Amino acid sequence: MIDIRDLYKSFGSLAVLRGVSTTIHNGEKVAVIGPSGSGKSTLLRCMNLLEEPSAGEVWLDDRLLTRPDPYFYPEVMRASRTYASMMAQTTAATADEQILQRIRGERLLHRHEGRAFRTALAAVEEKSRLDINRARQRMGMVFQHFNLFNNMTVLQNLTLAPVQLKLKTREQAEQRGMELLERIGLADKRDQYPSTLSGGQKQRIAIVRALAMNPEVMLFDEPTSALDPEMVGEVLDLIKQLANDGMTMVIVTHEMGFAREVADRVLFMEDGNIAEEGTPAALFSSPKNARTQEFLSKVL
Amino acid sequence: MSRVEWELFYNKFITYKGYQVALEGLVVTLEIAVFGLLIGIVIGTLIALIKMIPKEHRVARFFSAVCDVYVAIFRGTPMVVQLLIGWFVLLPSLGLQLNSVTVAICVFGMNSGAYVSEIMRSGIQAVDSGQLEAARAVGLGYWPAMMRVVVPQGVKNILPTLGNEFITLIKETSVVSFIAVVDVTKAFRQIGDSNYSYIIPYLMLALVYLVLVMLISLLVRLMERRLHKGDRHS
Ligand SMILES: Nc1ncnc2c1ncn2[C@@H]1O[C@H](COP(=O)(O)OP(=O)(O)OP(=O)(O)O)[C@@H](O)[C@H]1O
Ligand SMILES: [Mg+2]
Repeated sequence: MIDIRDLYKSFGSLAVLRGVSTTIHNGEKVAVIGPSGSGKSTLLRCMNLLEEPSAGEVWLDDRLLTRPDPYFYPEVMRASRTYASMMAQTTAATADEQILQRIRGERLLHRHEGRAFRTALAAVEEKSRLDINRARQRMGMVFQHFNLFNNMTVLQNLTLAPVQLKLKTREQAEQRGMELLERIGLADKRDQYPSTLSGGQKQRIAIVRALAMNPEVMLFDEPTSALDPEMVGEVLDLIKQLANDGMTMVIVTHEMGFAREVADRVLFMEDGNIAEEGTPAALFSSPKNARTQEFLSKVL
Repeated sequence: MSRVEWELFYNKFITYKGYQVALEGLVVTLEIAVFGLLIGIVIGTLIALIKMIPKEHRVARFFSAVCDVYVAIFRGTPMVVQLLIGWFVLLPSLGLQLNSVTVAICVFGMNSGAYVSEIMRSGIQAVDSGQLEAARAVGLGYWPAMMRVVVPQGVKNILPTLGNEFITLIKETSVVSFIAVVDVTKAFRQIGDSNYSYIIPYLMLALVYLVLVMLISLLVRLMERRLHKGDRHS
């Protein structure tokens, strides 16, 4: 289960994610759709910390992936200087909640919160935080541009991580790698370099490279957008197979037909927020939000 | 070029075995360039790696600043000045007993390190950022990802440029006579000095450098071709 709590991400002054919250349950297939620039990729990349969120938290089961967000922890906030000075200025009648809300809105919190604050924050981190490299081993990621390791053969692409991270011996990893390559019918490519493969082959290998780590969740960022049309099918078929096997997945996609067929839930993103979500049937047939309607009328 | 000049040169070069001095000089030139480049690669790689440490930590920023100063100094002053300082200032004040060739190798190595670090860095930066992301996404740490995936591709990018750096070094070594090293330039100069006739020795000298540089460019080009071949077939 991935729990996303009030996630914000800015690049400089550009706010790309503005308070995204959602929970992805085990076995669930979530499709993320929305116009270009709405923050779909950024959301996905925040889930495995390829981007560091500016605020908010991401949890994998009961462990925290991001830095703890102080605003979620009253005991941490109480140790903060900003909070203390704001408490002193306001009348006793004001509830903690309101102040927290206000601080949060203005995002006053920064580095100079004092030692007590840092200690309290470190305690939260100590208790809940999961090492990011560990977390990433449990979440496979597939990129729009495949990103196969160009300096390695196909089989080496599949075995690098399991061997380097000492999860498997080289023999075990190669055996598992060959099983995966056979599954996608590319066993004969084992000693080729990525530059010799077609886009569809590269993407299928990128998918099994992620599978070689036996992840619990797969994150796909527009896995077919960079492919020639005739290769889209083979990649979508493989993803469908994974879905049928019960893999939890989050798929950013422009393939509405595919989203409709595979997803349990569709998120429509607009301007850094989840503007609407629901089952594919509900969202595609009777969208409630005006922007969703407009978007769907363009793409369907 | 009169007949007399040719005879003087022939006398000195062949009869009085001037070619031996020239050959020894050539060996010294190559020695300084080769070992200089090797030291340069070591120093350059080190600097490039230090500069790639994520800048969150204060220590990383400190070392990165030290590297910047190093590169600025060696790129911002003439080679000859660096040689003179190494030989006439640093060596005596450190109380070291080194011969002048060793000092030349060290100075050229340190100088070349500054240039190689930039070459390395740009070669590594030219590697698509998706490569590092993909390596991190499967759970590799920053350094394993760099060392296994990014750096090998960066090094492959820069091999031809390193060849050019070697050529530059060979040409630059011609100033080492400033610290009493007898390289190929100094050797031909001595031949000229002995007869007060310089035209032929210096033209010969130019020819020696030219042939050397052309040979190396040829090797670099062959190497480049093989690397690209690897891209397609292997
Ligand atoms: N590293 C970055 N630095 C600065 N701006 C960025 C960065 N990454 C993304 N952005 C900006 O954030 C916004 C959202 O980007 P994102 O890639 O998340 O959109 P998207 O919904 O995936 O769009 P698309 O459908 O085109 O892939 C865009 O305006 C983009 O320019
Ligand atoms: Mg995107």
